Amino acid sequence: MKVFYLKSCLSFVAMLCVGITFAQQHVTVRGRITDGESGAPLEGASVKIKENPRSGTPVSGSTGGFLIRAHQGQILQVNMLGYANKEIPIDGQNHDVVIKLDRSVNELTEVVVTGALGIKRSSRELGTSAQSVNNEELNLGKVVNPLLALSSKVAGLRINATDQTTGKTDPGIQIRMRGTRSLNRSKNDPIYVVDGVPLPNITRINPNDIADITVLKGANAAALYGSEGVNGAIMITTKSGKTGAGEVNFSNSTTFANVFLLPPAQKAFGQGQNGVYSAVSAESWGDRFNGEMRDFGLPINGIQPTKLYAAPARDNRLDFFDTGVTVQNDLSFSGGDAKSSYFLSLQDVRLKGVIPHDKSSRTGVRFNGTRSFDKLTTSFNANYVLFKNNTTSDGPWLSVYTQPANIDYNEAREWEDPSSPNHPLNWYNPVAGTRNPIFMANNNRNTANQHTLNSKLEFTYDFTDWFSVTNRTGYYLQAEAGRVTNKKLVSNIATRNINGTLNDSGRDFTRLNNDFMLNFRKEFGEFTTRLLLGHNIRMDDAKLINVQANNLLFEDIFNQGSRTGELSGGSTITQYRSLSTYGEFTMGYRNYLFLTLVGRNDRVSTLDPSNNSYFTPGVSASFVFTDAIAGPKNSKMLNYGRIYGSYNRTGNVTLDPYRLNLTYSQTNGFPYGSLVGFTPSLIEPNSRLKPEFVTSYEGGLQLGFLDSRLNADITYAYSDSDGQIFNAGISRATGFNSTYVNAGRMINNTLEVMLNGSAIRSQDIDLQFGINFTFTDTKAKDLYAGNEFNIFRQAYAIKDEPYPTLRMTDFERHEGKIVLDQSGNVLPSEEEVILGTMVPPYLFGFNTQFRYKEFSIGFQVDSRLGSWMYSEVIPRMYSAGTHPETVKYDRQPFLMPNTVIKQDDGTFTENTNVLSQGDKDWWTKYGAIQTTTAAKADYLKLRELYIGYALPNSVVQRQGVFKKASIGLVGNNVFIIKHSSNQIGDPEALYNQTDGYSSFRQIPTSRSFGFNINMTF
Amino acid sequence: MRTIIFKIGLFAIVLTAAVSCNDFLDVNIDPNSPVKENLSLHAKLPAALVVSAHYEATTLNQIGGMWGGYWGTSNEGVNAFTALKMYNGPAIRDTRDGIAVWESTYNNLLYYKEILDQANAEDARFYAGIAKIMMAHHYFTLVDFYNNVPFDDALKGSAVLHPRYEAGQDVYQKSIQLINDGIEDVKVASLLPTTDDVLFRGDKVKWARFGNTLKLRALLRQSEIAAQSSYIADEVSKIVQEGSGFILEDAQVNPGYLNTVGKMNPMYETYYRNNAGVAVANYANIRPTNYLISMYKERNDPRLAQIYTAVDGDFKGVIFGNNTIDNAYAAQNTSALKGPVENANSAAGVIKSFSQATVMISLSEANFLQAEAIARGWISGSLEQVYRSAVQASFNYLFNVSNYNIDTYLTDRNVDINNATNKIERIITQKWLALAGINNMQAWNDHRRLGYPAFPNSATATNPTTFPLRFMYPETELNTNNEMVVAQGDNSILSSRVWWDAQ
Repeated sequence: MKVFYLKSCLSFVAMLCVGITFAQQHVTVRGRITDGESGAPLEGASVKIKENPRSGTPVSGSTGGFLIRAHQGQILQVNMLGYANKEIPIDGQNHDVVIKLDRSVNELTEVVVTGALGIKRSSRELGTSAQSVNNEELNLGKVVNPLLALSSKVAGLRINATDQTTGKTDPGIQIRMRGTRSLNRSKNDPIYVVDGVPLPNITRINPNDIADITVLKGANAAALYGSEGVNGAIMITTKSGKTGAGEVNFSNSTTFANVFLLPPAQKAFGQGQNGVYSAVSAESWGDRFNGEMRDFGLPINGIQPTKLYAAPARDNRLDFFDTGVTVQNDLSFSGGDAKSSYFLSLQDVRLKGVIPHDKSSRTGVRFNGTRSFDKLTTSFNANYVLFKNNTTSDGPWLSVYTQPANIDYNEAREWEDPSSPNHPLNWYNPVAGTRNPIFMANNNRNTANQHTLNSKLEFTYDFTDWFSVTNRTGYYLQAEAGRVTNKKLVSNIATRNINGTLNDSGRDFTRLNNDFMLNFRKEFGEFTTRLLLGHNIRMDDAKLINVQANNLLFEDIFNQGSRTGELSGGSTITQYRSLSTYGEFTMGYRNYLFLTLVGRNDRVSTLDPSNNSYFTPGVSASFVFTDAIAGPKNSKMLNYGRIYGSYNRTGNVTLDPYRLNLTYSQTNGFPYGSLVGFTPSLIEPNSRLKPEFVTSYEGGLQLGFLDSRLNADITYAYSDSDGQIFNAGISRATGFNSTYVNAGRMINNTLEVMLNGSAIRSQDIDLQFGINFTFTDTKAKDLYAGNEFNIFRQAYAIKDEPYPTLRMTDFERHEGKIVLDQSGNVLPSEEEVILGTMVPPYLFGFNTQFRYKEFSIGFQVDSRLGSWMYSEVIPRMYSAGTHPETVKYDRQPFLMPNTVIKQDDGTFTENTNVLSQGDKDWWTKYGAIQTTTAAKADYLKLRELYIGYALPNSVVQRQGVFKKASIGLVGNNVFIIKHSSNQIGDPEALYNQTDGYSSFRQIPTSRSFGFNINMTF
Repeated sequence: MRTIIFKIGLFAIVLTAAVSCNDFLDVNIDPNSPVKENLSLHAKLPAALVVSAHYEATTLNQIGGMWGGYWGTSNEGVNAFTALKMYNGPAIRDTRDGIAVWESTYNNLLYYKEILDQANAEDARFYAGIAKIMMAHHYFTLVDFYNNVPFDDALKGSAVLHPRYEAGQDVYQKSIQLINDGIEDVKVASLLPTTDDVLFRGDKVKWARFGNTLKLRALLRQSEIAAQSSYIADEVSKIVQEGSGFILEDAQVNPGYLNTVGKMNPMYETYYRNNAGVAVANYANIRPTNYLISMYKERNDPRLAQIYTAVDGDFKGVIFGNNTIDNAYAAQNTSALKGPVENANSAAGVIKSFSQATVMISLSEANFLQAEAIARGWISGSLEQVYRSAVQASFNYLFNVSNYNIDTYLTDRNVDINNATNKIERIITQKWLALAGINNMQAWNDHRRLGYPAFPNSATATNPTTFPLRFMYPETELNTNNEMVVAQGDNSILSSRVWWDAQ
């Protein structure tokens, strides 16, 4: 390793010397290349001297700038994919020239993609697959989180919004590219790269700042990132300043969200037990609603409150929720000249959640600037975001699923009056789990102020027209101050008591990422070559502090000083370091055949030094056969055709720091004064862990038809991740709960089909569409210690079964009939049954944009098929008597059809006379049969809908105030068609990092509608 | 910005020093926690002992409370302890919402195994002895719940991924041998623990007595298995030969409880009040059964009023397993545990103060064990005397005095040992009353073994003779050691018996 380092160091130095020696005196042409329409800088355009094809080919950098030496009178040729070629004579005055390129028609087939390390390249030379989504497509539905906007727009990519423990107004994202590679659920994310800098998280980025997102699919496309790119890469390029007159943009978007898809509840029976009304019961096992006034709860100050014993027509549970409101305001300024550019944006997002009192806000500012000095180009990006979140913790709405149908949550909002039956001391039911949920939402608050600073500083020095050096430093800082409070409540009934608690926390995370890169570019006759050598340093530092008081003395003073008992809290420091060297060599022949070799060596701090260095090789090739073979070259029908393929073996370390030794900590109340007591961690460490390796290959075919009006891309990809590092649950009889191992293998087969079309393209009418289809087959193989492995509750990895597999207890059955015991109760099956996979193997997406003159309409439909889900809300609804099934037999004993009775001697007899009780006990047992909680997760959704109107040019031209203006209506989750078995909820909504699982803690999905206004000055 | 420039400068330095990248990457020593090698035995032992004692007072006490006939729930607690009240085996084995006796006990065993390994390496035999005795204690618990469990293959981490289950009887036998070895280790040790031994402060004889008491408990557990009689006789004679006898005081742990969340006596904090003096949910949820109250009343037992509060001058209980809401069973209409707040700020029966010690084995139980052994003719001694000291120890503990006058009580026709036709039943019934709320677990064990006392089963049970006999193997084992679980056959809680349960 050391030798490799030394060699690369030496070669760097050697190259530097060479570069300086060969510099000659010529006319130096320097300039910037921009989009003729928008003025945006174009990165990746190649510039050469027509008379001297061997002159080398400089490529414009991120600011569109380039530098080339030539003689006077020669002709400068500029080529850029997706743009018409341009030639400019050199007259000696071209020191700071701005070259505007016009877009060409076949931009569907040939695009510029942002490759690894932010290097722009033509899609034709890629041996791997990549897909770009531009700003307009991204912001169609006006979502707050940029990743959510990618949902169903990219083949091979599955994105789900996930509800997180404290994320009610800050939803999380689960993102899976080409299946699941790691059994460790939290290690399947792609690498996020913003302007060339890898970031741990991009949810705070303003989607309006994004110029485009390129999705590098899988480890092959992201091979230069080594381990971090094993799940692919999301490459984000933010906007930069446009050359020409300054521009100011303003936009506002306001949307309103309401929850929907709650699991249905019965409205026939009210509170009580065993068919008898009880004024204090929170379960719906009472008698039938009859519309009379009844006692409700216990007397308050001697007066017995009463309530109408009837369920309202409207679902009472919806009254618990508010209408969520999201308001986004954006303002941006941009401008630039031949030497410099700037982009400045401000954004403010205010979000009011669907849970009462929940809200969040995001306020951000971004500055992107560039400046060229002779041979040196500099760029600086800085993005600061203040995110504030104020939510209640998980608890309040759980009981909404189980409380009776006549509870009025609008009245429950008026809980502050001490004589009100909604006051927490008077609430009809004294059980802690069924407190007034509105009061709970108010009483328990979880607030956070998070500051994110994300900055980049980049220098590129062009030594000659074929050699440049770039150093790019990214610094990311996130600091979060959190506070969780519970207001004290004291009652003489112990179950009503609430301890006053306070937990203040501080979390700091910093990342320094530095890439130092040497770029070489030479042409030799018919061959073009490009070599990139680079070195990466990564330093991640995190610190977590919390200070907790578990018993506050006063209701309104939230300070650790006003407590009884000892202070508790602590801190955790985590450090991670890695060093990498990498190289990429691309050779092109006649611009239709390309070969790329990639290698990267990573060294990480988290493994033992004897195992911590590993190498990732890769090879890929691309062949544009329509350019090579005379026949199809001029065909109108098939005007573009390319095949490509790649192979990679990517090393990966998913281990977090400090997992090699058995650590001890003080728990169970220790220390008691001077008495210390340490217990070991229950996760067995493993110092022999090695990197895991993912072998992947892919092959693809890209075709352009009808003058590239229709583009098709078909890719097959395979990945085999073996020797996975994961924390495997083991028999507790080993003493430990789990152990870190190198084991487990997962194989993914993925087929992706993309079809993009530009059906009509004229001055007045424009119709574009995109269709994508993905089939993913993820199978678990060779699991640790046996043929199966429990992932989370009912989710398993089972050898040779699709991963993750839903396996659960079913009814005990005899020859297909449900077995009852002699009291008529259902029985759980001895063995669990396999239902199927919990992630959809089939994904379809369809999006279209249609414009007729000033009117435009766009929508996106997506469908995911073939998976299963289950809900843990359902058993609770059964035992609480709110599930609609529980009233099916009118709460009377009934003869359950198609059942047999299990006799004492183990035989089964047809059930003709044993009645099932149909009471709480019976239905509780029924709901405990897990298959009653499962459903097929198939769905089709109208995810996004946009209807817009742009002010016509004639109107715009008549006034001088603004240049462009448009208004639009947006809808998200407009409608959904679910499988008939699914009475659980939105199959797409996940809880934390789980799959196919609806938690009772999760808030229901929302449907939203709104409008937006855009103005350019 | 300045930071960035600084960082870039730093980077430049790092780059030039690239050859020293080994140091750069050498940041994987956990700065937050010590590793096992950093810690001495006296930093580990207190935690293991406290965990053992707290488990006795919390989880095991709740299971024993519900299944030993002592406790039920009020209206407020109608949704608490439902798996136990409904004899719902699958719900108990559930990883998330179940009762993790298997998991917690093996984890606790690991703590002792780590101590044992270190003690062996350091030749610290006292610590080795304590670890062995405590491990035996936990293995008994495992067998009592699950019958066949891993022993030889257990606690080896990933070296043995699928620990083999051994017959419950063998595990009992091997554990008894562990105690024999442990007593030997303790007696010959030269390095003695001090305050870190939160049970006996490094007292050799007390540990030997404790070991003998545990052994006697385990031997009595197999009293109904006729084939064990010669084995029992051998082991009883070893106890006699050893000569230290049985515990002479309550074996209890007190690490120095503080009036702080998580640092209070677990009985106090779990069943009574928190550090702000506010009642906890269990205080409203858990109530004595009508059966328990009637047993006290039948004997004019003064302990009733010492442990429970009266409602309108009388003591009111609940029906175990009742899932209906009835005003008679509201928390405020039934007797709650009595603590200092209800007892003029002085220690009451079971609940004394936040700093009361946690009982591992009570002196009263040790005496009842001896009484039963005498009644069975296993050891010599005066049954009347030992029975008396057993009852005496219970009264002394509950009334916080050194010599409570029990003369009148002992003459009650339901208490007097001399007029009892079935002496074992009388001993077990008094033991049941003496351990109420303190070591509830023993009641379930004795009930399975002997059927005494004959408390009613759950109100929701489908059949009046149905009683829970064991725990099912937990879901974690189904998931990780499936073949072994399947090989054990029936493990239903209502039909499968542990080896010493002869019906």
